[in-house]
Amino acid sequence: MSRDRPVAAHSATGRRHEWGGLLAAAVLAAPVLIGLGYAFGASVGLVGAGGGGRASFTRVARVLGERAMWTGLLWTLWVAAAATALAAVGAVLVAVVFRGTARTDRAARALAALPLPIPHLVAGALGVWLLGQSGVAARLAFALGLIARPAEMPALVYDRLGAGLVLTLAWKEMAFLGVVATALLATSGAAAEEAARTLGASPWETFRRVTWPLLWRGLAPAVVAVFVFVAGNYEVAALLAPSDPLALPLLVVERATDPDLVRRGDAYVASVLLLAVAGAAVAVHEWARARWEPLAP
Amino acid sequence: MTAAALDARDAGMRAWRALLLLMLALSSIGPMALLALWSVSGAWFFPALLPRTVTLVSWRSALGDHALVSALGTSIVLALGTALIGCAVGIPFGRLLARLPGWRRHVAAAAAFLPVAAPPLALGTGLQVAALSVGLGGTLPGVLLAHLVPAVGYLSLLFLGTFTLLDARPEEAARTLGASPWQVWWRVTLPQLRRPIVEAAAIGFLISWTQFALTLVVGAGAVRTLPLEVFANLRAGEDSAAAAGALLLILPPAVALATLRWAARRTAVLPA
Repeated sequence: MSRDRPVAAHSATGRRHEWGGLLAAAVLAAPVLIGLGYAFGASVGLVGAGGGGRASFTRVARVLGERAMWTGLLWTLWVAAAATALAAVGAVLVAVVFRGTARTDRAARALAALPLPIPHLVAGALGVWLLGQSGVAARLAFALGLIARPAEMPALVYDRLGAGLVLTLAWKEMAFLGVVATALLATSGAAAEEAARTLGASPWETFRRVTWPLLWRGLAPAVVAVFVFVAGNYEVAALLAPSDPLALPLLVVERATDPDLVRRGDAYVASVLLLAVAGAAVAVHEWARARWEPLAP
Repeated sequence: MTAAALDARDAGMRAWRALLLLMLALSSIGPMALLALWSVSGAWFFPALLPRTVTLVSWRSALGDHALVSALGTSIVLALGTALIGCAVGIPFGRLLARLPGWRRHVAAAAAFLPVAAPPLALGTGLQVAALSVGLGGTLPGVLLAHLVPAVGYLSLLFLGTFTLLDARPEEAARTLGASPWQVWWRVTLPQLRRPIVEAAAIGFLISWTQFALTLVVGAGAVRTLPLEVFANLRAGEDSAAAAGALLLILPPAVALATLRWAARRTAVLPA
């Protein structure tokens, strides 16, 4: 009997810890779930301005029937995908080419990480100053005799393609992905690569069969995080994106501050759409991970 | 392959590396130099490659500008508060999550991941109404609470990792030797956590310091932080004032990153 007591006491503390842990998890998720719940409620008119206390999907149907909402969503997806892809390619290039221990390698890695502490807002400002039609790139083009007036500079800022926005975001995110890729190669690459080389694989085969699979599997969570972050970012888009098509984050703020109080509720529908993009990206990643995990080295 | 061919390949590789290094240097240092230059430029219009005059006017007016200085103060208060409260909540939360068995820990980690992954703007539109309904909309405490949402999620995940890896034996040994829970925490656990706490405080500080959308939406324009002020300057075409504010904005993250890298190199966990 007395021998059972410590065990019983231990499991009682264990259960208490377990409840504590689940409570902590609930507290962490609560703001998002409450926010999402409110956004849903406001979308269907249950709560908030103009809410009649009875659910109606007229607002959701009207907002989802708007062309601007879908072009905004597609445009945002395009910008996020292009910027993330560019940043990932640059990061892998830097990590693979400069993976050695020579001074140039270390210098290159340090340089690539330099934009890391720059806030996104500042990156956006730099994008305007560098790529705008009277920015530094245009001045260089003028000095080289390529253009005579700012208007002759191809529009990279506020352009429909979002070239300036894509370049700015890719520049900013490449630093983060570069640090992750460098750390991956430094911690997990060497042994497997050495084994492949010993077994007679050529450098190219070693890269294709060992280094690359290691890199992209390790990099995938960071790539998804960057995609989600970039898709939901407001301040860089506000500085560099065109007003038509209007990026989804800009659309949320535009509607949330609309002088017409009825239209303000549209912001909730748009922000649920924004959350859905983030949720979908995370879900796709989890699904892919579950599929590939058995294959992981 | 002949020796000559190998030499040629090496030379080609070296040229490639040199070119890449040059591009990296240009793309990393160039924009910073531009920022510094813009903050001290007088009139600087197209097509001048360099400013005609160099002046400290924008710095002097930035530091004398009541709006910017009070925004700087607001940002510092919010960031310090987020770092402090974020750690105070993140440490026990991380520990509780780390003690969960099996699948429950995965679910809990996913719950902590939600506020980290949710776009701040989408989070903000929901939180704004919650803040308004309890009278915190457009107030400093309301914005602090909003900043704490992603920060506490992130720091709980960070401490979940820390406590999962932490060796439990010293704590058990101390308990066996008769130490009270308080003594165990103060004398055994906390000293082991010094480095994660410094890292977590830096991350919490930066999450708040660089926050834009949450401040904009929950603060409803009434709470002015440094990023909002810099954004307003940019929109108004006050480029050199914006550049001065932007440099102030970069300073703490740069110091934090340098400190973290220095600490990492000392303990050689991350590659330099």
